[in-house]
Amino acid sequence: MAMRELVTGGAACAVPGSSSSANPFGALANALIGSSSKTQERLKEIPQSTPTASEPQFYPDAHGHLQQLPGSEFEQPFMQPGTQSSDFLRNFNSVDGNRLLDNAWDEIQTSQPPPMHVPQLDRIYDLGPVPQLQPTLDGPPQRVLSSFLHSFVESSRGGMPFRPAPLPVLGLSAGDKRCIRDRTSIMARHFFADKSEDFINGQVNALLSSLDIESDVNSKGPLPARFRELEDYWNESQAIMKPGAHATERWVTEFNQHRVDHGDPNAWAHSFERQHGANGWASEFEQEQSQLMSADHMRGANMANLAAMEQTRMLANTLAQNDDPKFQKSRFLQFVSKMSRGELIIDDNQVKPATSSASGDWAGEYQQQYNAGPNWADEYARGELSHGPNQWANEFASEQEQHGSVDDQWVNQFSKLHVDDWAEEFGNQVGEGILGDTSADTWANAYDEYLNEQVASKQHSDASRGVYVFSDMNPYVGHPNPLKEGQDMFHKGLLSEAVLALEAEVLKNPENAEGWRLLGIAHAENDDDQQAIAAMMRAQEADPTNLEVLLALGVSHTNELEQAAALKYLYGWLRHHQKYGVLAQPETVGFFVARLFNEAAQMSPEDADVHIVLGVLYNLSREYDKAIESFRLALKLKPQDYSLWNKLGATQANSVQSADAILAYQQALDLKPNYVRAWANMGISYANQKWILSHLYFRLQELNKP
Amino acid sequence: MPVFKTPFNGYSVKFSPFYESRLAVATSQNFGILGNGRLHVIDLSPAPLGPAAPHQPITELIAYDTADGVYDVAWSESHDSLLVAAIADGSVKLYDVALAPASNPLRSLHEHTREVSSADYNPTRRDSFLTSSWDDTVKLWTVDRPASVRTFKEHAYCVYSAVWNPRHADVFASASGDCTLRVWDVREPGSTMIIPAHELEILACDWNKYDDCCIATASVDKSIKVWDVRSIRVPISVLNGHSYAVRKIKFSPHRQSLMMSCSYDMSVCLWDYMVEDALVARYDHHTEFAVGVDMSVLVEGLLASTGWDELAYVWQHGTDPRAP
Repeated sequence: MAMRELVTGGAACAVPGSSSSANPFGALANALIGSSSKTQERLKEIPQSTPTASEPQFYPDAHGHLQQLPGSEFEQPFMQPGTQSSDFLRNFNSVDGNRLLDNAWDEIQTSQPPPMHVPQLDRIYDLGPVPQLQPTLDGPPQRVLSSFLHSFVESSRGGMPFRPAPLPVLGLSAGDKRCIRDRTSIMARHFFADKSEDFINGQVNALLSSLDIESDVNSKGPLPARFRELEDYWNESQAIMKPGAHATERWVTEFNQHRVDHGDPNAWAHSFERQHGANGWASEFEQEQSQLMSADHMRGANMANLAAMEQTRMLANTLAQNDDPKFQKSRFLQFVSKMSRGELIIDDNQVKPATSSASGDWAGEYQQQYNAGPNWADEYARGELSHGPNQWANEFASEQEQHGSVDDQWVNQFSKLHVDDWAEEFGNQVGEGILGDTSADTWANAYDEYLNEQVASKQHSDASRGVYVFSDMNPYVGHPNPLKEGQDMFHKGLLSEAVLALEAEVLKNPENAEGWRLLGIAHAENDDDQQAIAAMMRAQEADPTNLEVLLALGVSHTNELEQAAALKYLYGWLRHHQKYGVLAQPETVGFFVARLFNEAAQMSPEDADVHIVLGVLYNLSREYDKAIESFRLALKLKPQDYSLWNKLGATQANSVQSADAILAYQQALDLKPNYVRAWANMGISYANQKWILSHLYFRLQELNKP
Repeated sequence: MPVFKTPFNGYSVKFSPFYESRLAVATSQNFGILGNGRLHVIDLSPAPLGPAAPHQPITELIAYDTADGVYDVAWSESHDSLLVAAIADGSVKLYDVALAPASNPLRSLHEHTREVSSADYNPTRRDSFLTSSWDDTVKLWTVDRPASVRTFKEHAYCVYSAVWNPRHADVFASASGDCTLRVWDVREPGSTMIIPAHELEILACDWNKYDDCCIATASVDKSIKVWDVRSIRVPISVLNGHSYAVRKIKFSPHRQSLMMSCSYDMSVCLWDYMVEDALVARYDHHTEFAVGVDMSVLVEGLLASTGWDELAYVWQHGTDPRAP
């Protein structure tokens, strides 16, 4: 989020209109430099405190201090004879000969500020690819974690069963995930006042790995040095998880390497200790654990939840040991304990109440499958329960004391307990064909299936139709002019950013039809028709006769294969059109609407919009040839309309003219290089043409580059 | 005494050094783990003038939304309307309550690479302030410079708090998760003193307002320790009584030996470290972790606290914070 703010120049800084270059970094630089000089001016306006006589004046010499040349007064506090302390404090300066920085501060006070922000800019460049330039192919509906959390917390307090509200789907960025992980793990150290470091690490890392499980925590911000090794390790494990032809093999190889390491216990332990210190192995273990969970998640399992449950259960138990009734009422702790009981699960980065409905099914199935066979997960959990990581850690510690050094025993125990188990089990399962086949691509297929399922269930369960779902954690909230910002972002093609800014706008002005309309278009271009429809419906509420809105609603509903709704809006377009309104007859239904539009087209053949609507209508009735014809006519009138080229391409693709479609998409992309929808469509067309799908992938990667 | 409901979980509360009725409350969504933040500036209203007017004990002057949680806030010692906010996204933001909302934040300083955990305004040299961060550093800033003056990087883990010495404009102390308290002089290249004050993480520290060599530390080990920086081998006093980690510690501006603390045991305590039975009072008004406390400089005995129960309380010592 910090980065996002940097790029946008922060809430207070408007991007100067002069930023001519399309290069976002150029704009960024302008934004930073422009804004910083502005804030400097503003700062001069800070009112010098001028307390009136009636106001309490506690620092009568405040002005004196400010105006005094710095450097002249700092010795004063030290010249307070009689206090024994001053000797001590004076020593700060006199003990060593190093006076390098002695006057640095004071010089700084008098000297002019150096050229603005250059170091900041450097830093920004260092941050690597700017995330908002990444077009997301499946603009997932974002939902509000906080409202859900709070409503959950409220309801649980009253002792009422938690009513599954429309659930937040949280498009957590990598940064957000890192936030959750780092913050929770740091905070947990404060909650568990009594527990050992290892125990806390164990609890929290396991809990958090479930949140991170899907993560592509690749975009690294700067991290403190102490985590770097672990971080690399984590990256490694993530890289291994990338679905690819040889993913399984690589994973297994990787694992074997570790086993080899384990096989030589002393060396392993020693070298490890050297690297990470005595406690490091526990964290290492956590990492491995999360790796396991990642692996499982790839197979469509919700092992993460099992493990997270186990961990939170322990966490909750620990907290529950405090019998202060106040503690038992804490909503925060209830949240944790609810999670531990499996009443809440974390799935795809959403906190969900566990239900047996729709999307829960596959998880359940998976668990059944698990229960049928030898269950290493449970075994693992049980093993952990009975041995308890802290106990286990303590054992280790005491053993270490006894023997003075790490001996083979615990390593053997360790591998016997956990590592061999799951490794064999994994092998067995692969061998038994739980995945249907041992080959790597089946494995990849399974992952694809799982993804599809996810998408499907998302579409069913979420976004109860027409309800606009706001993103959580909107950095533009509080922005002075989010509409302007949103328009700028939109024109620059930063759709995800534009969406956020526009959401901030419509939150501020819910009746702003233009804000809603742009938001709808941004979603439509980002290939999210559900949200587009929801936004457009709000736009229509605010301004029921806006033609652009009606047309957009018609198109989006067409995309969602909702004929009746699409026709309704397209008819509405006609009815509210000042020219064609006369054609509208109150009872027109169904495809007779098309006839009306044909009449309209004859009335004014030079009106591209009519042809567009006709094209959409023919798409609805699957008369693709006619649709293509209409779009071509419209394009003659409006050759620069990139979305029109995309419509033409989509229609051609639907009528199995992939080659033509690609040409049309290419036109759209020439006009608007970061038009997500066209890229997606083009990819599909290529795929249909037996082109490699990766073409799309690579092109998108290119787009990401500044 | 008045209660103020915040939409998010409270993180910090600070009395204005200029107006006895004014406070700032820093809050964060979702317990500060993920989400937005909000900075409230509130006023304790005087008693109603007419009998018909419903008495609103606390009015909100203004609130500022932020993209990430607000972990701490500090009032400027030189400008009565200026606030420094420590934001969880690593930024430090300056707000001027007197300016139009559109021109706020006045400045957004992005240098810390992790959550900013505390902000403290220099009470003697009133153009500068300190921020501490989970990126293990403390940074020194002045209001007129767009970049930090200095970065103090020695701690090996999160720095939860950095506090100026009330008398010496160049001396401050920092409390860190690396279990050390460090005392610094900004004119020196490194820390002047390292005190391994606790066995567990140190979450807060504060200087005695009457004895410039006396400093208190609050730790995850549930204790508060009071130190004399001239002889650091043993603490002057160890205060036990909290049953969970002690989150903040604050010396009274009015009485030399009086301190106020809050803890993850949800209580707020007052201590007198010089007497045998140190615990002066325990307030149990919060229903979630109590994480922010302050004592008014202008009104003796006026206390404030906030916590994750989304409430900020202001009350006179000796009265029930929850009394209407």
